[in-house]
Amino acid sequence: MTRPTTADRARALLPHVVLLAVVLAAWTAVAASDLVSPSYLTPSPLEVWNAFVRANSDHPIGGGVDRIVRGEENYYLWEHLLASLQRIGLGLVFAVLVGIPLGLLMGVRAIGALLGPYVDFLRSIPPLAYIGFLVAWFGIYDTSKVWLLFLAAFPPIALATLNGVRGVRGDYLDAIRTLGAGRLSTVTQVVLPATLPDILSGLRVAVGFAWTTVVAAELVNGLPGIGGLAYLSGSQNKIALSVACIIVIGLTAIALDLLIRLAERRLAGWRGKD
Amino acid sequence: MNRHTLRRGAAAAAVAALLLSACSLGGDTEADSSACPWEADESVDTTVRIGYQKIPNGDVIVKDQKILENCLPNATIEWSNFASGGDVIQAFGGGSLDIGLAGSSPSTRALSEPLNIPVSVIWIHDVIGSAESLVVQEGVATDIVGLKGKTIATPFGSTAHFSLLQAIADAGEDPAAYNLINSEPEQIAPAWGRKDIDAAWIWDPTLSELKSQGGEVILTSEDTAEAGKPTYDLAIADNTFIAENPEVLETWAKAQDYAVKQISEDPDKAAESVAVEVGVTTEEAKGLFDGFVFLTAEEQASADWLGGKLGQDLFATAQFLLTQDGIAAVADASVYAAGVDAGPAEAAAQAD
Repeated sequence: MTRPTTADRARALLPHVVLLAVVLAAWTAVAASDLVSPSYLTPSPLEVWNAFVRANSDHPIGGGVDRIVRGEENYYLWEHLLASLQRIGLGLVFAVLVGIPLGLLMGVRAIGALLGPYVDFLRSIPPLAYIGFLVAWFGIYDTSKVWLLFLAAFPPIALATLNGVRGVRGDYLDAIRTLGAGRLSTVTQVVLPATLPDILSGLRVAVGFAWTTVVAAELVNGLPGIGGLAYLSGSQNKIALSVACIIVIGLTAIALDLLIRLAERRLAGWRGKD
Repeated sequence: MNRHTLRRGAAAAAVAALLLSACSLGGDTEADSSACPWEADESVDTTVRIGYQKIPNGDVIVKDQKILENCLPNATIEWSNFASGGDVIQAFGGGSLDIGLAGSSPSTRALSEPLNIPVSVIWIHDVIGSAESLVVQEGVATDIVGLKGKTIATPFGSTAHFSLLQAIADAGEDPAAYNLINSEPEQIAPAWGRKDIDAAWIWDPTLSELKSQGGEVILTSEDTAEAGKPTYDLAIADNTFIAENPEVLETWAKAQDYAVKQISEDPDKAAESVAVEVGVTTEEAKGLFDGFVFLTAEEQASADWLGGKLGQDLFATAQFLLTQDGIAAVADASVYAAGVDAGPAEAAAQAD
C-alpha cells in the first residue's frame, strides 16, 4: 500500500471544509434574518467568536469605564473548562475504583443475579433527579457534584466489566488453572486483561454520561465550571457566550472520546484478532 | 498487554487526577487590610460562606470591592453564586451557607413549615420598587382587571409572583380567572417575542428587554408596597453562625452599610462594581438603582424595618403564601418577629 500524498489528504479534507463553510454560512444567514426575535437570541458566528475571545482574555467592562476584568466571572473560559474536567476526572476515578471490582464480583453468577437489578436501576435514573438530595446531603460544593458524576459514571463501567467477564473464554481459564494458578492470579492474569477491551468501551460510555451530567451538576453553585457558565450566561440573556460554551462542551466531548478510542487501540488492539 | 503496562496506565491516571485537583484556578488577589475603609479586624480567622445573587444592590458592591476580604484579612471568605432565592434556601437546608441573599417570599418559606430552617433575617439589601414590574403587550390591557383570561408569566415562588398575586387580590379578582404560567426569566423574552404571553411580572434584564419591545408597565412592586405588601431582598444568616461570630456579622453589616452609602454618595464607583458583577453597562447599572430603595444601617435598625415592622411583613407574607399553597402552615407571629435579628445592623449603626 502506498502512503497517501499531501494532495490526497487535502482532497479527503475538502468535503469537510465545504460542509463546515455551508453550516457557518447558513448559521450567519439565520442570525441575520432575525427569524427569532429579539435579535440577541440568534447570535452570528462572529458574535460567538467574539464572546469566546472575550471570555479568554482580560477585557474592559466598557460603558466608558476603564476597569479591566478577567475572563467571565473572574475565570478564563479554559479555567471554567478545567474546573469541570477536574470534577469529571474525580467522578471517573471513583467510578473506575468501584465499577471494575463490582463488575468482576458480579461475574460470580449468584452475586450478579443479586446485584444486577440494583445497578440496572441506578443506570436507568436520570442523574438530575437526585441532585436535590445530593445537595442536601453533601452540600453545595464539589462533593455533591463529584457524587453525581460518580453515580452517572459507575453503572456503565460495572456492566461493561460484567459483560467482559462473562465473555472470557473457558479454555483460557482451564489453561491457567491447569498450570496451578489460584483465584487471585486467575483474575489478575487472565480475567482482567481479557476484560480490558470491555472495560475501556464501558469507560467511553461513562465519560459520555459524566460529560452530559456535568451541566446538571453545575446548576447549583457551578462557578467556575463550563456547565455553570453556560447556564448562567443563558439566564443573563448572554446567548452568544452560552453558544460559545456549548461549542466548547461539544468539542471537548469529542476530544475525550477520541482519547479513549486511542487508548483502546493501544491497549486492546488485539481484540478480534484471536 | 501485560500487567506492567496496566499498572503504569493506572498510575498515570491517578497522577493526572492528582495534578488536576492540585492546581488552583482563578484570579483572586490577596487581601489588603490597608484597603479596608475602617480599621480591619485581624482577630477573625473563621471561614465565612456567603451565597449571593446577581442583583444590583450593595451585596455585589461588597463582593467586587473585596471589602470583607480586606476588613477580615485572616478570614476565608467564600462567595457562591445562586440563580434564585429557592436555591439559596436549599443550600441553607443542607448546612452549606452562613449568610445568603434571598427575597422575602423564599425567606418566609425558610422560616415556616415544613422547612423550619434555623436562620434569621439580618439585613434588608433593598426594598423592591419598580425593579419588578408588570409589563403588558402593547394595547392588551391598561389595568389588572383588563388582563382577565390572559396569559401572565412570572417565576413561581419569587417576590414578583407574590406581588402579582397580591395585585390580583387587591383588585378583588380571583387568580383562577387568569392564566398564570411559571417561567424562568430568560425564557420570558422569547415567549414574549412569539406573543405566547400577554404579560409578565419580572425583573431586569428581561424587564428592560420587554419594555424595548413595546411592553407597557401597568403596575410595579412599588404599587404593591404602597398597598401595604412590600417585597424585599433580604440577607439571612444561620442562627448558630450568628451566635458564634458576632464580630464577623458586625463587620459584614458595616461593609453592607458602606456599600449602601456608596450608591447614593459615589454612584459611579458603585455602578462600576454592579457592572462587573451583574453583567450590565455602568449606565444601565445606574438606572437599575432607581428601581430599589436602599436603607442604611441606622434606618434598618429602626422600628420601621428590622427593629419591628419587617417581622410583621414576613408574617403577612406567610399568611398569603399559605393561601397560595406555598407553605404548609403559618407559624405564630412571634416566630417571624424572632426570625428577624437587628443586632448586626444596630452594631454597624453605632460604629459610625
